[in-house]
Amino acid sequence: MSLARISDVAATGVPARRSRAIAPASGRPWTFYVLATLFTLYLLALYGPMACIYILSFQDLRGGLVFPMKGLSLHWFIDLFTQVRTGDVKGSFERSFELAIIVTVLTVVVSFLAGLGFRIRFAGDTIVFYMMIGSLVAPGLVLGIGVGLIFNAVGIDASLFTSALGAQLSWTLPFGVLVMFAVMSRFDHAWEEAARDLGASPWQTIWLVVIPVLAPGLVAVALFGFTLSYDEFARTLQTAGSLNTLPLEIWSMTLNITSPALYALGTVTTIVSFLVIGASLGTIAFIQKRREARAPGQPGGAA
Amino acid sequence: MWIADDTLGMQGKGLTMKQVKESTNALTRRKFLKGSAVAAGAAVGSGAIGGFPTIWAQEIKDIELRHLGVSYSVVKAIGDQAAKDLGFKVTMQNLDTSAAINRFITQPNSVDIADLEGWQAKLAVKRGVLQGIEAKRIKEFDNFLPIFTKGELDGHKIPRQGISPYEALYIEKPDSTELHDGVTEWLTNVPQVYNADPIGYRPDLVGHPVTEWKELIDPKFKGKAAILDVPAIGIMDAALCFESADLIKYGNKGNMTKAEIDFTIDKLIELKKSGHFRATWTTFDQSVQLMTAGEVIIQSMWSPAVAAVRVKEIPCVYAPVNKRGDKEGYRGWCNGMGLMKHLAGKKLDAAYEYMNWYMSGWQGAFVSRYGYYSPVPSTAKKFMTPDEYTFWYEGKPGPEEVKDPYGVPMEKAGTVRDGGSFVERVTNISCWNTLMDEAAYMNKRWNDFKVA
Amino acid sequence: MAHSAAFKRSLAGWAYVAPLVVILIPFFVLPLIAVVAASFFETDGFGGLFPAFNLGNYTQILTSGLTFNLYYETIKFAVLTWFFSILIGFFVAYFLVFHVKNQLLALGLFLLCTVPFWTSNIIRMISWIPLLGKEGLVNEAFLKLGLIDQPLEFLLFSSFAVVVAYVHQLTIFMIVPIFHAMGRIDKCVVEAALDAGASRFDIMRLIIVPLSKSGIALGSIFVISIVMGDFFVVKVMSGGGSASVVGAFYEDISVLQYPTAAASAVLLTIILVLTVGLILSFVDIRNEITR
Repeated sequence: MSLARISDVAATGVPARRSRAIAPASGRPWTFYVLATLFTLYLLALYGPMACIYILSFQDLRGGLVFPMKGLSLHWFIDLFTQVRTGDVKGSFERSFELAIIVTVLTVVVSFLAGLGFRIRFAGDTIVFYMMIGSLVAPGLVLGIGVGLIFNAVGIDASLFTSALGAQLSWTLPFGVLVMFAVMSRFDHAWEEAARDLGASPWQTIWLVVIPVLAPGLVAVALFGFTLSYDEFARTLQTAGSLNTLPLEIWSMTLNITSPALYALGTVTTIVSFLVIGASLGTIAFIQKRREARAPGQPGGAA
Repeated sequence: MWIADDTLGMQGKGLTMKQVKESTNALTRRKFLKGSAVAAGAAVGSGAIGGFPTIWAQEIKDIELRHLGVSYSVVKAIGDQAAKDLGFKVTMQNLDTSAAINRFITQPNSVDIADLEGWQAKLAVKRGVLQGIEAKRIKEFDNFLPIFTKGELDGHKIPRQGISPYEALYIEKPDSTELHDGVTEWLTNVPQVYNADPIGYRPDLVGHPVTEWKELIDPKFKGKAAILDVPAIGIMDAALCFESADLIKYGNKGNMTKAEIDFTIDKLIELKKSGHFRATWTTFDQSVQLMTAGEVIIQSMWSPAVAAVRVKEIPCVYAPVNKRGDKEGYRGWCNGMGLMKHLAGKKLDAAYEYMNWYMSGWQGAFVSRYGYYSPVPSTAKKFMTPDEYTFWYEGKPGPEEVKDPYGVPMEKAGTVRDGGSFVERVTNISCWNTLMDEAAYMNKRWNDFKVA
Repeated sequence: MAHSAAFKRSLAGWAYVAPLVVILIPFFVLPLIAVVAASFFETDGFGGLFPAFNLGNYTQILTSGLTFNLYYETIKFAVLTWFFSILIGFFVAYFLVFHVKNQLLALGLFLLCTVPFWTSNIIRMISWIPLLGKEGLVNEAFLKLGLIDQPLEFLLFSSFAVVVAYVHQLTIFMIVPIFHAMGRIDKCVVEAALDAGASRFDIMRLIIVPLSKSGIALGSIFVISIVMGDFFVVKVMSGGGSASVVGAFYEDISVLQYPTAAASAVLLTIILVLTVGLILSFVDIRNEITR
């Protein structure tokens, strides 16, 4: 417990800089090499099957989902964005993407607020907490049917941005709030008190102090919100209404066809994510440089 | 068909469009729409005309039909063509069979046209989510093959193990909740696509022609065989195997007793424990992968999947498992369009138009090029080249290269379709996809097989 | 006075969690009530439900050997996945937090771990097939190297393949919370311990693990509840050779056997809530953030 205190205080003092590591200045310890190898292997395992996807997506017309490679062409990329044969990959991708963005934003906001709420011991907090845990663990297939039934009973047609949105949030929010727990335990209340002493309003405290300090955590919540929504199947199955999300479309497509267009989609999403990540890292590096140039010696921002 | 204004894309080929053009010229420049059911109705009596009002183009454009079903039956390309020809919006949605039937039952208002197999029609009728379809408003109804309307073909009675399309076709009154045995004026669904499923195998690796189901469970294919993992139809494939190997004689493969289910599952478990099955498959895609990747050399398989393996330049044959007495034969399936109960007024009229469009040939030709059949081959024929019809329906060598619905070459010139002609294949169907009375028990036992 | 302060606190707490509650009630609580109700009903076998209020569905499930087998299989996968994802997730997070000195590089490497997750789950799962299959890359490579003379069949359509696919998909859910928990450990503490002569092992045991246990607990909750609630991976990667709890009631639902499916769902929910409760009894993550 005392260690936790110490670390809290220290973490507050140096919120962002990781200027000192375990390693002695003289050189890297043997553990570095072991762990670097482990990390590399992990990345290899992560990207190994992905590499198969990338390669196989460049087959021609005769291509299948397994090796050996049949021909070399951009056929499936063109197919992805033009043909109707492969199902509505493009449309469902766009819908899934939009839905995931909305789910992400709502997950971040609602989880953040709930995280603030759970810092307070209030009457009934345990009920809310276990309600959230229940929502995390209850089987989505059955809940989805339940949501569909309720919408039908009320007379609202199930659709992506009503029932599916809600059903997905009931899945992403517990993740979001729990991640906020991990993130907020890193936050020292002295910050807030200091802000209040300086005359900041509660909203200013949150906006100018809490959010910047918790920003990396909020990014993690967003990451979970996005992937969980983008991949969601069980809860969306009976709540999506008459337009499919990408996972639903892919699943029903596989009942009928076999097509490397799926792989082409994997390749495209990977390229796009690399571009986005590259751009964001570039921006962060640029901002840091400018800050350092302006105020040398100052810790670079709260993230 | 709708007689549409010329902004609606008249480049389409065939009879429908020709008529549309002629009629458009004959009409005033006001965009006037009229249902073909008027013509159909005139033939059967003036009552039908009153029931089918003239609709303005503007109103038609606002109509959207939501057609929901499995992806091999509810095809986006077909929906797009229908929308183009008819002038209203068609949204095709694909889900798997399980999700689809749950949608029909639990959210009936979220669907307009339900794509149903016979057993799903039986369930949907029972739950009262469908409305009866008036047979006389289906223009081509008299040209339907008697497989559907009378349960026979060329004098052969079509077997009724499982739920045959004929068995699931009629209800007594538009709001009946039980299927009716015998011809009536009211339909549960309009059949639109069907086929006969057999075994597929790799001739290069199996080494001899396969014509019997028992080959699938022959120990010489240990570790190289697969079976379909959809309980309701997987168990029928298994039953065909065990019957073929003289292990058991079923009363009705499509509606087994508990004892028959136990025997079948125990036998499957025995096979699984001996390492006979390399895998089981759930989707078309998986079955193709298993075959192309050399994981499996013989398995129960859907006919276009066999073709899909061949497109990848890997030899694969659809075994002609013709009936021998009570044994062997194909497992048949059929999907049809049902009208959801909430449809009324103009939307209901549009739904009838849509179904009539389906039967007018374009869709029939489309699914035929995929290896499936149209219930009205006479109209499908008009949209196929003579060579195509020869190949797909008559079972004779196609003089030209055979192409799939999207123009991708499937078979070389001179190939004969596996399983022979349409009549040969269809008359050798021995059972149909089904939902057994003991479905709950069967599912439980199927899961025993899975975890064994 | 004390009363009104407590009241004010509660009000503030409820105000913060209100959006969460407003979403969970219609999309979790109400459907759950429907499910619980259905679990006491009877069916005509064709999707029709009749209120019966008996425990028949539960006794049927609880007395069936199948239930036991299904849970055994599912728990086996959950435990194996949990074990490997902790092992990998913990050390990957440790590496990123303590060994990568450049913060931008650490962030970049972290994001590199997340890129595959922008590709749909299903695609990522089937991407193992060209790699692990009988004629897949791994077998081809081993054959060429002369390590084996027969393709290894256990690589695909096996429990091995299921665990591989799960670990592939879910380790990120372990990395993220552990990464955050470790991030708050001050390096000064570690350095002080080093200066005081503590061994690496002691530092790991006495500082790193205790201080990142909230992350480990959260990651465990995520991984276990996802695996226990999934059926897709087992269905595809085991080649249908195995079944899962959710997979079994998916089959029930497909023939409209709602009451038994509902009863299984309720049972699974109870078991998982208890599991999460058990994990939280070791690590009180609530307590760590409460003021």
